Amino acid sequence: MSVAIDGRATSAEGSLLDAVLAAGIDLPHLCKDDNLPAIGACRTCLVEADGRIVAACSLPAEGVSSVDTQSERVRRIRRSVLELTAGMQEAGSEGTAGGPLAAAAHLAYAREGADVARFATATGSQIDVSSPFFAFHEDQCILCGRCVVACQALQHIGAIGLAREGGATRVTPGAGVPFNDSTCTACGSCVAACPTTALRPKEGPTDG
Amino acid sequence: MVVGAPPNRRRLLPRLFEAHERDGFLTAESVAVIAADLQLPLAEAWEAATAYPDFAIDAPQEPGADCSGLSCVLNGAPEVPPGRHSACRFRCYDAPAPAADAPFPETALGVRGPLLAPDLADWRGLEAARAAGREAALAQIEAAGLRGRGGAYFPVATKWRGALAEQRPIALVVNAEEGEPGIFKDRALLGLRSQRFLEGLAIAAEVLEPETVIVFVNGAAGAARASLQTAIREHADLLPDSVQVVLGGGGYVLGEETTLLNALEGRKPVPRLRPPYPAESGLFGMPTVVNNVETLAALSAIFREGAEAFRALGHADAPGTKLFSISGHVARPGVHELALGTTVADAIAAAGGPSPDRTLAALVGGPSGGFLPPAQFDAPLLPGRLHDTGAVTGSGGIIVLDQSADLRGAALAMSAYNALESCGKCTPCREGSPRAHAAFEGGASADLPDLIEALEAGSLCGLGAMAPGPIRSALHFWPERFR
Repeated sequence: MSVAIDGRATSAEGSLLDAVLAAGIDLPHLCKDDNLPAIGACRTCLVEADGRIVAACSLPAEGVSSVDTQSERVRRIRRSVLELTAGMQEAGSEGTAGGPLAAAAHLAYAREGADVARFATATGSQIDVSSPFFAFHEDQCILCGRCVVACQALQHIGAIGLAREGGATRVTPGAGVPFNDSTCTACGSCVAACPTTALRPKEGPTDG
Repeated sequence: MVVGAPPNRRRLLPRLFEAHERDGFLTAESVAVIAADLQLPLAEAWEAATAYPDFAIDAPQEPGADCSGLSCVLNGAPEVPPGRHSACRFRCYDAPAPAADAPFPETALGVRGPLLAPDLADWRGLEAARAAGREAALAQIEAAGLRGRGGAYFPVATKWRGALAEQRPIALVVNAEEGEPGIFKDRALLGLRSQRFLEGLAIAAEVLEPETVIVFVNGAAGAARASLQTAIREHADLLPDSVQVVLGGGGYVLGEETTLLNALEGRKPVPRLRPPYPAESGLFGMPTVVNNVETLAALSAIFREGAEAFRALGHADAPGTKLFSISGHVARPGVHELALGTTVADAIAAAGGPSPDRTLAALVGGPSGGFLPPAQFDAPLLPGRLHDTGAVTGSGGIIVLDQSADLRGAALAMSAYNALESCGKCTPCREGSPRAHAAFEGGASADLPDLIEALEAGSLCGLGAMAPGPIRSALHFWPERFR
């Protein structure tokens, strides 16, 4: 089975996102972690598949005949979604040191031409430095859910969740305690999964 | 997973509901006790507990205010205070309605057909299904052309065959959440025609032979729940032993079936990705059939009267009757059973609505639908869009606005509702719906088209995708009211 991606035949293995990336096309996918099943929350990997706008991470490539990652319509919608995403982050963190994937979001905004100031309202302003090994800065959180899935499904620790609903949704240790008072083992999986600098390693235990 | 020994998670929502009833609210401490009992990580129990709008956290909810849903506002109730969750009390037939839930009155049943005929005196529908056996019963459902009445109109036999094809133990889940403002027909069926519903449920159980059967009822629908539980007790011999009634903590998004499955599994009530579809892998990975209360009631009619009689009403592609919840500025608000394909005009007339020249608009399909002016009322009520700006038949909610009504206020109330009811999982809906509402309120700013497009095409589930309907339809038909 093969799928035509931007006109080039590509093997239809795995998800549509797998196929797009295998074809050498750089498509944002801020909530999709290599080690985890698709979450489907960030909606930044939107493509046009057989005329329909879909999140590439959540659809098997098999059964799709043609994908357009660059149609005017899909580029515009992807840009709007990225602008909504960027709006959640307080400006000015581009140079901050973070986890291994911390640059992913800003690279995606730049690549897709997103106006990062268009919908600005940071998620929140809480800063949690209680863990000896990492810090959590809510003003950089895009609520993609990767840290939570890494903690719950990869590590089976379940120290954090996405508590509350709608615009009040927040990454929350335990039932609303600092990281260090939860069952967090400071394994680092959440920091490794974070596509922004919301979760960032500390240089030492006293580093805020 | 060992079938028949469901994971502890399944007990989370019932335990949360119980604690909430006992204490009036949940706290970190009360949720921690439950999480420890069930051996669940606290953060996972907490993210589920805090996601239900009807569960108060740390302090009791303010004493229930009288209803401020759209039909009640149209009938003189005060406007919805900003930032409050679903103000609808699902008693639009009684507008302006008090806060308390009450048994559904027979007087609010209007036009009646096979579904609303007097409740059953025998079980000949079930007997017919038993005599037919699985294959013939499926063929009969197919011949009747029954489509799901929850709003998506998916062919029932196709869904059932999909689950059976998995050849694994099946879960049957009945969605009686009915959380859409302006809809009250499942409450009517459970309250006044519970045996018809039970017969449909027994037929489904006969054909699917499910390992587990769950009826998920809106936690605030106390009267409907009591009536259902009485009926289940009285007729336990007809139903599988596994039948269980689970009560939810509210939330419009529970109408989305994978969200309902997450809730039943003790997970945060947010939509899952599809595929896999529930029929392949649903509740705890079991092939799962999710059907609406009304769909099962229609099954009873099909097996009692036959597929042909069912097809005699309705449209060739969407046969049968449908329960419409019609309210607002009408003389006979209530549940009206009408053939699918009935025009909006005839539906409004059935409920004693104003003449077209005194009518301003109808909201068709609730907050996920759209407003239509009288010039569009010849549209037939069939599956899918009635107009591409938003109106849908959906689960059959119609709210009528006469010339005196504040259309701008009504449209803003719907867009505010959609923003508030976003579950928060996906970015377009969580971030986009409040901004779309603000842009709409501020006179349709330049950002609005992009926000609408991102919501419609980018959202994870139908709630986000259909959220712009009230905005688009109001701006399209009444642009002068939004300048």
